[in-house]
Amino acid sequence: MSSPQPDRELMDLLDRIAAQDDSALKRLYERTSSPLFGLALRIVRNRDVAEDVLQEAFLSIWRGAGNYRASLSPPMAWMGLIVRSRALDALRKRSSDRADLMNELDDELAQTLEGDSPNPMDTADASEQSFALHHCLGKLDHKQREVVSLAYLRDQSHGELAEQLKLPLGTVKTWIRRGLEQLRSCMAHYA
Amino acid sequence: MNITQNPELVDRLAASYALGTLRGGARRRFETLAREHATVRAAALVWQTRWSGLTELQPAIDPAPAVWTRIDNLVQADKAAAAMQAARVPPAAAAPGGWWRNLLVWRGAAAAGAIATLAAVVVGVQVNGGLRATTGAQIATLQQQLQATPQIQYVAVLADDKADASMLVTFDPKNNQLVLQRVGGFQEGADKSLQLWALPPGQGPRSLGVLGHDKLLKLVAQEGDVKEVPTLAISLEPKGGVPSETGPTGPVLFKGELIQRML
Repeated sequence: MSSPQPDRELMDLLDRIAAQDDSALKRLYERTSSPLFGLALRIVRNRDVAEDVLQEAFLSIWRGAGNYRASLSPPMAWMGLIVRSRALDALRKRSSDRADLMNELDDELAQTLEGDSPNPMDTADASEQSFALHHCLGKLDHKQREVVSLAYLRDQSHGELAEQLKLPLGTVKTWIRRGLEQLRSCMAHYA
Repeated sequence: MNITQNPELVDRLAASYALGTLRGGARRRFETLAREHATVRAAALVWQTRWSGLTELQPAIDPAPAVWTRIDNLVQADKAAAAMQAARVPPAAAAPGGWWRNLLVWRGAAAAGAIATLAAVVVGVQVNGGLRATTGAQIATLQQQLQATPQIQYVAVLADDKADASMLVTFDPKNNQLVLQRVGGFQEGADKSLQLWALPPGQGPRSLGVLGHDKLLKLVAQEGDVKEVPTLAISLEPKGGVPSETGPTGPVLFKGELIQRML
């Protein structure tokens, strides 16, 4: 289980990386590569592709760290978005091989959707700024939470999700619609 | 139907737009609305910021050690290339009277989810109903006006992620105040406040004050608050704003570079 990543330390590392300090990049990699690799894997579901994605992402971080401060994002969200972008690029490039990717056994996901137990979410690791999201996500039915998360992470439409999860289109639409409504009304209590 | 009069609908559409499940014709119609209404753009930005938190919590899985080796090699190659480039190109001399030419119009990484635009700005601009011109044209227009008002020392245009100007900011050293002027039509809801932040280098954001709902606003400030601050930002907060130490709790809607014009 990943230990909490103090935001301040990561932000200082990003500042140093912006000043071309490659030892800071190594430190950042040591601290964050595992959750970021987990994210890449969740999106592309193929280990080799995920490794390429992680590599591209860290290169983007190396080159773009100067942009970080002005984004006012928590560091893990900023890096997570870079990983997601590179992962979606990889999926697009490989769209002709998409059939192969989709055949990858998504064991963890199948179990999640079939089982009744909710995903344990260690929200202690989340940044303050995304506290509201994680608090409200935690209140959703786990199936709704899962499809909403996948829709975002994999940038998938209702149809694509239905095809991939082998679920009826109507079911996916309902889960997403209800999940969104619950999230919206929960988030309305926060800024 | 004026969609901006239905904030509930805008919020629902913005949430699914930013999530990615709004597709086809509906997506195109939403994008058209966003181009025309600052409130719709702001709602989309709020949700983009929120959804980005989904990337934060993922199971930790160790990558193979070879991945770092490849990254390290590429980084070293990058550094070597940069060193060679620096050795080859002589430093650019400042163009006489053309300090604004050195300004970079920068679009932050799309991956960061919020695109910032730098713009040179001048106070005293007569803005009617929001500037529709492109960033380049805005800069040119405002630069001409800059030359007509030499008193102003610190100026900023705060723009949203589509590079549409939303707030003009100047510092008035005689009266020790920041003067802000709303442009572009965005108006926060009655239960919300806009809050202005300075982003000094190497430090966390510092609040410069909470904005009222008027078109022209003034905040008490000292020159020290804006000196050496490269960027200003405006976030959407609960009514009354938040303490400075907290930093912004809501999404950043507008930001821009603070320019110090050399007199």
